[in-house]
Amino acid sequence: MSNRISAKDVLLGGIGTLAVLVPWEIAARSGIVDPSIFPSPILAISSAAEKLSATEVLDHMGWSLFRVFSGFLLGALAGITIGIVAGWYRTAGYLLRPMIELLRPIPPLAWIPLAIIWFGLGEPSKFFLIFLGAFFPVVTATYQGVTNVDPILIRAAQTFGLKGIDLLVRIVIPGAAPDLATGIRIGWGLSFGVLVAAELIAADKGLGYMIMHARLLGYVDVIVVGIVLIGILNLLTDGMIAWLIKKGIGRWHEV
Amino acid sequence: MSTDAGFIELNDINMRFGLPAEALPVVLQGIDLSIAQNEFVSIVGRSGCGKTTLLNIVAGLVEATTGTVTIAGNQVRGPGQGQGVVFQQHALFPWLTAMGNVEFGCRKADISKSEKREVCRQLLDLVGLSHAADKYPRELSGGMQQRVAIARALALDPEILLMDEPFGALDELTRIELQQELLRVWDARKKTVIFVTHSITEALILSDRVILLSPHPGRVFKDYQITLPRPRIRTDPAFNAMYQEIWEGLSA
Repeated sequence: MSNRISAKDVLLGGIGTLAVLVPWEIAARSGIVDPSIFPSPILAISSAAEKLSATEVLDHMGWSLFRVFSGFLLGALAGITIGIVAGWYRTAGYLLRPMIELLRPIPPLAWIPLAIIWFGLGEPSKFFLIFLGAFFPVVTATYQGVTNVDPILIRAAQTFGLKGIDLLVRIVIPGAAPDLATGIRIGWGLSFGVLVAAELIAADKGLGYMIMHARLLGYVDVIVVGIVLIGILNLLTDGMIAWLIKKGIGRWHEV
Repeated sequence: MSTDAGFIELNDINMRFGLPAEALPVVLQGIDLSIAQNEFVSIVGRSGCGKTTLLNIVAGLVEATTGTVTIAGNQVRGPGQGQGVVFQQHALFPWLTAMGNVEFGCRKADISKSEKREVCRQLLDLVGLSHAADKYPRELSGGMQQRVAIARALALDPEILLMDEPFGALDELTRIELQQELLRVWDARKKTVIFVTHSITEALILSDRVILLSPHPGRVFKDYQITLPRPRIRTDPAFNAMYQEIWEGLSA
């Protein structure tokens, strides 16, 4: 059993990526496809660089990251708290779960019209949408984790005299940590997706705004660079979260 | 506590799950047992005879429908009254190292952190695992996990060790090793042990006394004093005669 990545696996990944990029580049340069609609990857970066300064791009990135971090953080914290309470206290579970189950399947984007009516076009509405993106996956995973803790661990802890809140803090929460970690990763991905959508609709900063604005100006190259940046940013931050999770629980739990 | 009363006394324990009106089968019926201090008692019986339930009642994890358990004259009202428990398997806390698990068991508030660590190190040493102190349960074999579980239960410094088929999931060789280990620990630390198993051989290797439960409802069917000299040899004719006698009791 090994999940080490071999050099061969990396090579295969490289071949797969180039198999898409190289024909695209050739097709764009040779005129098979119209470069004003399908700009080549290399040309897109160089011509986008002429239209946008690095500081502008960084400013958009910074705004996007700030929004997603703050919304996600609050959504995840609320999700963890409510998930624990609903999973541990039977009465609270009966009280809270129907409402959560009812709202959970609604895609966060369906909330956009309401978010705009309630919070206007400014930051709070985006914050609210990102919050929802994080909240539901995290609350569901936390609830699952708390209710799925092996009862034998709870009984074992009871033989050492643990009860009540001590059982919750010392046994149930650590026991739920792997499920919680999964919920956090899913929540982050969803928050990120919601972020871009929220910025597409109404914003004057952020990567979502940047690509939407580029569409109005007909800058296809900026759009290409923008969506690639969104992808890279999501990949990097998700990788960071995965790394933190592995550092936190990787030694005792197969991640 | 009167002189003829046992260290652990079970008085007319009856157990049924659910409400009487639901007419669910009776799990335990009229269990009376008296166990002396430092006695090693095995409870043997077929699956479903309620032996694990009986152990959980003594542990204070499950409340009997009627009847009482007393330990040294004090009625058991819950866990943590001097009962250390070793479960069948997978009861170590996976997020704690071997040392962390043993330290979890050491709940004395009146000793310093370094003293506590020393006590726990000695316990890991006792079960032959001082080299694995920093390993997590998933990095340990099944046999090593059960050794940690024994050390953890001992960390509570219990007077009674309750063991629920602790070696049932282990392979034969590891099982024999751990039986010997347990006898050594029992000898070194002098505990009263109640050991649930469905292996007659295991019960005979370990115990001063073997109690046979009959199923549906669980009742004390036979109570054997095992006077064979220790260490017990599996191939000894007297051992085999005893095995045969219990086997006949079990098949009756």
